Amino acid sequence: MDIAAPFAKTGVISAATNLWLAIPIGIIFGYALFHAGFTDSRRIAWAFYFKDVGVPVVMFSAIVTGMLGLWGLSLAGLIDISLVYMLPTYLLPMAVGGVLFGIGMVIGGYCPGTAIAAIATGKIDGVVFIGGFLLGSMVFGDFFPVWGDFYNSDYMGAFRLDQWMGIGLGPTVLLIVIIAIVGTVSMIFVQDFVWGAKNTLSKSRPFMKLQGALVAAAIVIGVVFAFFPTESFIDDSVETPYYIVPKAGMRGAAP
Amino acid sequence: MRFGTRWPPVPAGILIGISMLLAFVVAGRGIGASGAMTRLVAWVQHSLFPVATEQSAYFGRYFADGAHPLNDYVVFILVGLLVGAFVAAWLSGELRVEVLRGPNISNRNRLLLALLGGILTGFAARLARGCTSGQGLVGGAELSVGAWVFLLCIFAGGWMAAWFVRKQWI
Repeated sequence: MDIAAPFAKTGVISAATNLWLAIPIGIIFGYALFHAGFTDSRRIAWAFYFKDVGVPVVMFSAIVTGMLGLWGLSLAGLIDISLVYMLPTYLLPMAVGGVLFGIGMVIGGYCPGTAIAAIATGKIDGVVFIGGFLLGSMVFGDFFPVWGDFYNSDYMGAFRLDQWMGIGLGPTVLLIVIIAIVGTVSMIFVQDFVWGAKNTLSKSRPFMKLQGALVAAAIVIGVVFAFFPTESFIDDSVETPYYIVPKAGMRGAAP
Repeated sequence: MRFGTRWPPVPAGILIGISMLLAFVVAGRGIGASGAMTRLVAWVQHSLFPVATEQSAYFGRYFADGAHPLNDYVVFILVGLLVGAFVAAWLSGELRVEVLRGPNISNRNRLLLALLGGILTGFAARLARGCTSGQGLVGGAELSVGAWVFLLCIFAGGWMAAWFVRKQWI
């Protein structure tokens, strides 16, 4: 049997159906953002003061879930990974963009997805933030020739951490799981140390038990990954198609 | 066990991860929020200045072959996002029109800072080709080097600037 997923690229569903299915996917996303506490700008900003490290923990959990799911389905032969759009790396623009983005986040209290979710729950500061976000996007687009060359610089293709470190995909997956866990535990430690009882993250016993079980499951899956031969199923000779503003004549390959 | 309004972070993150995974499986791409914002800007600007927008080095591609900038995957995700957050807040009885801020700042100054932060992140998201979700979470799961550098730099930038705006939050 041919690999069925991703459904929209293998012709299982039409392009129109794919668009309509984006709405329930977005609903799950928005529903989860609210219950993660991400519609509250204070909780997001507090992450930068270690007063509430829920934001990075949620992000770690989301990344690990998506990572184990995506590469796990690929190993199981259920998804054709070469048909999944891989984000290309433009190292320096992304680093500079990240620093500016972080400064903007602690000033504004949101990122775009969380601000949209906040608008849906009635937050005025979310509306104003999105107004600014649209303005910033407009300035970037209308003055694009000013920074277009920098935007397209430092292109490395769809460059993955395992290629960069020169180790297998499986061990890399396990490494990310470990980094997520160590990062979480050390951030909670700093939070308790700096803020003591004034921090706002719940540590009720049943919650901690449940989360411990979920983390243990992630470790087990990660270990399975690390000892699974993963070289065979990734074809690194296939170059990812450009997604955003190709620069004429530039066809850099992944190093 | 009842989760209540604010779930513990791990299950909340897993549900976000599941929505991302569904997008991988169904569409062969990730979720995101900032791309729809750019398309919204392109659409509004096009209704005011059609020729200039179509000739724009950045926005022009949204109108290639007579395409409509809002007829795109990221816009449908955004519609769902609005509905999902609204329903979740409604079921929790948390729908309230309010300005969220720390105890030591006025509403007016909070909104000014929200505007400033929005402008900065709007510019930065375009430069980095995505935001926390579209570039950070999706790229993080795909093990993209650029996405992990982006995430680290977000926290580096945030920590650097945190001291200067502490009165807003604490």
